[in-house]
Amino acid sequence: MARERRVRARAWSVLAAAALVALLGGTAVAGHWAANGWRDEHRGYPRRPYGYRGIVRTFGAPCNARTDYNSMYLRAADNGHYYRIRFHKKLGGKGTAFVPERGGRSTNLDNDVRGHIANGHLDRYLRSGIWGYLCRYIAGTTRYSTHAWGIAVDVSAVDEPNGQCHSTVNRHHAHIWKGHRWKWGRAWCDPMHFQYAAGY
Amino acid sequence: MRAVRIATVVLVAVAAGGIGILRAIGQEETNGRTGAPPAATDPTVPSAPMDMGTGERLALVVGETFASRERAEAANAGIQGRLGHLQGFYVAPVAQFVGLAEHLGARDGDLVLVSAFRTEEGAREFRDFLAAMGVRGRITPRMENRGFVFVGLGQERAPDGSGPLVEPLPGAGA
Repeated sequence: MARERRVRARAWSVLAAAALVALLGGTAVAGHWAANGWRDEHRGYPRRPYGYRGIVRTFGAPCNARTDYNSMYLRAADNGHYYRIRFHKKLGGKGTAFVPERGGRSTNLDNDVRGHIANGHLDRYLRSGIWGYLCRYIAGTTRYSTHAWGIAVDVSAVDEPNGQCHSTVNRHHAHIWKGHRWKWGRAWCDPMHFQYAAGY
Repeated sequence: MRAVRIATVVLVAVAAGGIGILRAIGQEETNGRTGAPPAATDPTVPSAPMDMGTGERLALVVGETFASRERAEAANAGIQGRLGHLQGFYVAPVAQFVGLAEHLGARDGDLVLVSAFRTEEGAREFRDFLAAMGVRGRITPRMENRGFVFVGLGQERAPDGSGPLVEPLPGAGA
């Protein structure tokens, strides 16, 4: 009876030690970007516009010269390719410890969203089919897409096709986009799509 | 008793108003859940006129050719699913463009998946987008457009950077 109690106590000690190691080890690994000086800075964000007029007031005419002022590369975890995405001057390009100063107006996309995804070790949920600015209509119309203002990013298109009303991949980092004022297109069954606008 | 009846009426009215508000909010979110964003069907969003570009010499990004409209439309729909809500190709007759038949050479039919541009930069951007999404498209030399069907003009930046290019370039015909 006493021997049984000792065996049980030892088992619980081993379990507790393993849990502690996992907790401390996980914390150490996940926070390495922050440990290297990255910060989620939240500087210079424009107000998220509502509707067509709000978008034009905030970001100008579609396809204007500021709509692809900034660019960055995102690596797709499934095929290892680097995709260059371009985006509006107001949504990034401001210098931080991790992003060089490029004359942009905020830290939103290239420092904050990008860094938050990496710091949380969620890069494995960025899959192929990645695109940003494109002067293009919404399919079947002659109305400009939010991509035409450089305020939209498509991510993991191969795994999250248009018309699919659930998400298998982007759901792991959608909260980060939302936390930086982006709207997720899953609401209209376009789970690859994130945009810095509502009501459009 | 009367007070209870009045309170009930007030409660029902408030609940009905609340449901109405929630439905209005939800309408923007779902838009019928078709994959198209709210702007696709919002009557307050302006539509650009269909710029036919008749008589202009245009740079084309072309995909495959097909013998029947049904096959062309089905293939185009399959491609569209990979492009999100961004407009992909248009289905047009090969004969719409002077010299396209000769340029394509042997082909599967007289219908082609195409998107036309007034600038080489516009054509390159679209081709690169297609490639990023795993779709093939190639750029042709400039060809005169007979203007049979709309092939997507208006989807490229004007040279002065002011916005979309919505008129012919000087010396490009038409």
